[in-house]
Amino acid sequence: MPLITRLFLKSGLIFFICSLIIALLLQIDSVSIPSLFPLFWHTLMLGWITQIIMGVSMWMFPGRIKEESFGNQKWAWLAFIFLNIGLWLRVFAEPLIYLSELRIWKVLLVISAVVQLIAVLCYVIEIWSRVKGKKKRIKKKAGSK
Amino acid sequence: MPGVSVWMIRLSLVYLLMGITIGALLLINKAVLISPELMLWLPVHIELLIFGWIIQFTLGTVYWILPRYLISKDRGSSVLALLMPIFLNIGIWMVLVSNAGEQMNFIALYGRIAELVAVLFFIILHWNRVGALRRAA
Repeated sequence: MPLITRLFLKSGLIFFICSLIIALLLQIDSVSIPSLFPLFWHTLMLGWITQIIMGVSMWMFPGRIKEESFGNQKWAWLAFIFLNIGLWLRVFAEPLIYLSELRIWKVLLVISAVVQLIAVLCYVIEIWSRVKGKKKRIKKKAGSK
Repeated sequence: MPGVSVWMIRLSLVYLLMGITIGALLLINKAVLISPELMLWLPVHIELLIFGWIIQFTLGTVYWILPRYLISKDRGSSVLALLMPIFLNIGIWMVLVSNAGEQMNFIALYGRIAELVAVLFFIILHWNRVGALRRAA
């Protein structure tokens, strides 16, 4: 299993735990942190499920370059870095835009949104060319020889 | 990778991009108010990402990756395999369109029926492909 896949999976597991902790907090009446509900859904669906899908597809889909390096897997690495920065920024900034008067939290939330969008774009660039039929792959291989 | 899977996975990637773009706008809207009406796009964001991205990607990958039949070496009825993504995507678009206004709400029902039919086709196609080699032999 390539390193990038392992990182996606382990980060996904951490977000899975986070989402369940947030779900737990949602059940405690005395806890009144704003935005916990959207945070629960996004740590679960984006942090856990989408990261697992991304990590496993980068490993299992055909056309993977087995020699691991940042150069060979740059879009995958950028997707991982941007997605995780974006998600963690959101986890902290979203409740704080309601709890604090500081403008920085709003700026960080905007950055979080943009960075997550870029992450998905990087993932699509990485995986799009690897989603193809066997015939096309053989044709491409023969053409490159 | 069979053509059906290629189409389903590529479509799911397009839905992912659409869904995350709307999601990014919704998130930015919380920090800097662009328009209060942006919140009306929340159901579209959810439909695109749950049915368009996660479910479609999973169904497409499973169709490719589960073991094929031992004797015929195929993945079952090619007609059902073709109808599965057609029904799923018609369903997704009907649900998306139903968000355009209250008078369009009834379309969502037909959309959900189309999605249900797609999932039924998926189950029919895969039920017998889920098995151990020992049992099949």
